[in-house]
Amino acid sequence: MIAPRWRKVLRDIGEAPVRSSLAVVAMAAGVFGLGTILTSYSILTRELEKTFADTRPASAILIVDNADDAVVASVRAVPGVLDAEARPIVRARVRVGKDEWAPLVLFVVPDFRDLRIDRFSRTEGAGPPGDDEVALERTALSVARAAIGDRITMRTADGVERPMRVAGTVHAAGLAPAWMDHVVSGFVTRRLASHIDAQAMSNQVRIIVKGNRLDERHIRDVADRVRKSLEAEGHKVTPVDVPAPGRHPHADQMDTFLFLLGAFGALTLVLSAVLVANMIHALLTEQVRQVGVMKAIGATTRQVVALYLGQVAILAVLSLCIGMPLAFSAGRGYGQFTASILNATISTAAVPLWVIATQIAVGIALPLLVALLPVYRASRITIHQAFSNDISGRAFGTRPFDRWLARLRLLPRPLMLSLRTTFHRRGRLVLAVSTLAVGGAAFISALNVSAEWTRIIAEDAVARRYDVYAVFSRPYPIAQIAAAVDKLSNITHAEYWSESAAIVAGPNGRETRIALVGLDPNTPLLRLPLLEGRWLNASDSDAVVINQNLLADAPWLHAGNRIALRVNGRPVSWNVVGVVKEMGAHQAVYANSADALRATGQAGDTARSVRVVTRAHDAKSQLAASRELERALQRDGIGVLLMQSLADGRKAFEDHLVIIKSALIFAAALVVLVGGLGLTSTLTLNVIERTRELGILGAIGATPRALSRYIVFEGVLMGLLSWCIAIVLAVPVTYFIGTVAGRMFHKTGLDFLMSPQAVITWFALVIILATLSSFYPAWRATRLSVREALAYA
Amino acid sequence: MISLRRLTKTYETAAGSFTALRDIELEIGGGEFVAIVGKSGSGKSTLLNMVGGIDRPSSGSVTVGGTPIQELNHNRLAAWRGRTVGFVFQFFQLLPTLTVAENVMLPMDFCGTVPAGQRLTRALDLLHRVDVGEQAGKLPSELSGGQQQRVAIARALANDPPLILADEPTGNLDSATGAAIFQLFGELARDGKTVVVVTHERDAAPALSRTVTIVDGRVA
Repeated sequence: MIAPRWRKVLRDIGEAPVRSSLAVVAMAAGVFGLGTILTSYSILTRELEKTFADTRPASAILIVDNADDAVVASVRAVPGVLDAEARPIVRARVRVGKDEWAPLVLFVVPDFRDLRIDRFSRTEGAGPPGDDEVALERTALSVARAAIGDRITMRTADGVERPMRVAGTVHAAGLAPAWMDHVVSGFVTRRLASHIDAQAMSNQVRIIVKGNRLDERHIRDVADRVRKSLEAEGHKVTPVDVPAPGRHPHADQMDTFLFLLGAFGALTLVLSAVLVANMIHALLTEQVRQVGVMKAIGATTRQVVALYLGQVAILAVLSLCIGMPLAFSAGRGYGQFTASILNATISTAAVPLWVIATQIAVGIALPLLVALLPVYRASRITIHQAFSNDISGRAFGTRPFDRWLARLRLLPRPLMLSLRTTFHRRGRLVLAVSTLAVGGAAFISALNVSAEWTRIIAEDAVARRYDVYAVFSRPYPIAQIAAAVDKLSNITHAEYWSESAAIVAGPNGRETRIALVGLDPNTPLLRLPLLEGRWLNASDSDAVVINQNLLADAPWLHAGNRIALRVNGRPVSWNVVGVVKEMGAHQAVYANSADALRATGQAGDTARSVRVVTRAHDAKSQLAASRELERALQRDGIGVLLMQSLADGRKAFEDHLVIIKSALIFAAALVVLVGGLGLTSTLTLNVIERTRELGILGAIGATPRALSRYIVFEGVLMGLLSWCIAIVLAVPVTYFIGTVAGRMFHKTGLDFLMSPQAVITWFALVIILATLSSFYPAWRATRLSVREALAYA
Repeated sequence: MISLRRLTKTYETAAGSFTALRDIELEIGGGEFVAIVGKSGSGKSTLLNMVGGIDRPSSGSVTVGGTPIQELNHNRLAAWRGRTVGFVFQFFQLLPTLTVAENVMLPMDFCGTVPAGQRLTRALDLLHRVDVGEQAGKLPSELSGGQQQRVAIARALANDPPLILADEPTGNLDSATGAAIFQLFGELARDGKTVVVVTHERDAAPALSRTVTIVDGRVA
């Protein structure tokens, strides 16, 4: 038999279905918000890690003059090497339209039936590709604008074209999705590769080390041993690339995404805590007299505390029953969506036990924790206070603010009453307003960070004042390139820059491959924003400017320090005079053209790339210009490695941001949902609390319509107050999220941006939410009879 | 049973301090049925609150059954109150979500004075004693005012306290029902309970041992 006091708890819940449901819904909203984020977070981290680990990612990649079976056998025999596989790469382009080519990377696979490193799996089509076929990465079909069975045309930098049939698709989880990088990846046989110009081939040998595969120093030691061994055998080994151990190529995006999920998860938790505190505050306000009665008949403070904590626990369990299953579904759905963006596969969407345990623990412990103080306070109330209704603390008019408010004559008297009542019950006001303010801050911050990413893209567009650029297979005489370009009427300006790969040697033998760009320091085509120091001068002869991506990887390279590079095997050292910020993940060093050419050993009148300005600057004109340029260069025998319009480059960066923006939109939507529910429940509870007051207003002549107007007025007033606080709160939240997310993805903190659009959107939303949330409470108020309201204890 | 010595109670309000009781000296013996009468605001309810440990004196002492209750801390006072005092209020103050029997069982539940298995039986006995045994399974809202007050008296007797305190118990009842309630208190006093009732003079009943009149916070 249940003790009467516990029966009281159960009946109190059942007797006030509206209040109990609101409390459960508010708590469930918190559980849902946190649970959705935890579920998607846990599934994604586990599945992405597993998907990537299943590919057996290479510990290190060596580029050797020859990657035949003998070399691989020799590498496998080096102590510390667990396995090795040749995986030469062909960089070419694939036709995607008339005079339109997309970058193509072909991986040459020695044996499709014995994949050892960087494995992939067949998804569609027949077995391994034949000798005139290619298996495309599953995400590459759309970028290649091809279907299985189609014949596609590949063009190498020397201009030779070769048709291939698309045999099928494979899933290479270690590769970024093609639509994101705008690069088509495919896998071909050795026999097909043997027909391709050796210049286009990079003879990669991939190794997996024995021992700790996550220890970069150990990997470098083994890779160095392999390099020395191959060199001893007379092979030439160019850079050793050690990908960050255990990190997916898009790990930065994943980290940023997961951080955003975590940050907004924490905000949802805070929001949920405030909501719960609000519920409990309202619940206890209604129960004060009963606390007095129970104490009068012998209940101790501890017993009363236990009673109300028990009630909170029951409501919390109910909210878990509703919130958890919904959170699992939403979290799984969002996880699937994100995995598809990252080219991963969710093999099992099982929710880990720790997520369930955390949700249960937080879902029950948080309400109890938040309730502890108010419950204890309410339980400490004396019987005398409980019966004398002396629980509101100070009377209205005892504070200077109250007196100031009382002197205000701006509004009609009934609305002034609402205003004063709102400010009189400060505990309730603070809780209601902070619920919405936390929600608002999260919403505004999400939109601010999103707007800052958009601004970065726009800023980069302003910084790069060219429309199309082409990179050649080798340096060509500027006169030859200019002869081709000058024939094109749509091009108003062209510049010829040198570009070459270089290596920055860091501590512990770590080498970073970067692009060395030689240009006219007075070029009107590039105005990148400076983070440190200055841009190049025409008089500089020993100066370079680096970008923020390189600084992040080589943090000793601040302005004023010297940078040591290896260009074509030759050492060169320059003074870093500035650091610029630019879009994208590439690491670059900018130098005066003459210096760069000298370092590479190229002739002074040659260039490796061209940047052109077209008459019109829209995407369509840029595409047309790139086609024209393609034809012209092809006609004049200039091998093109890459041709890209600026619109296309911007699109690629935007596509990298899809996942981050999706996280921000997801978080903002979640916050609106939880905040909206919170406001509805808060306003309804306010009406319940003020039943007697509304009865008195009714008794002295307020019509139901007038009463509902006061309720809506109060709701909107609270909404407006919360909006002001949300803007202030959004400043540190935006700054924190922008700094951390920016460093993860953009290698430098995002600039603080308070987006007017975010502020206005939240203003509109909060007014709509407040008005909508007031409807039910207002309707309830109009349904009260004066007699019922006055009898309400 | 009850001994009040130089009892003074002063409240601090926004309008200044207000003394509700001044230097009260009062002795009430065991088994007495005492009415405390006086006009509204005279301090009679404050006096009752002092005796029941609902409020604390500003100065002086309140001794009930040999216990100086102003010296008890919050929790010990609650435990003492549960076992020693049974309260009856003007507006009955039954818990609306509990049935009549459950309302009576609640004090036993809090104080653990009666084994769990015997609580219902005792509650029904007490309800029968105050003539509302038939209403045991109903909710308070289904009862008349007089019936609710009888339930409140049964609840006050739940832990068999030696002292019953009632604050205007008939103030919300018609005169016939009020007389019946006073008769019930008289029976309790005859059974050895000390009964102290705050009331207006018009409620004075023949069963009373004596009447204490409070005027402006002093015993007249």
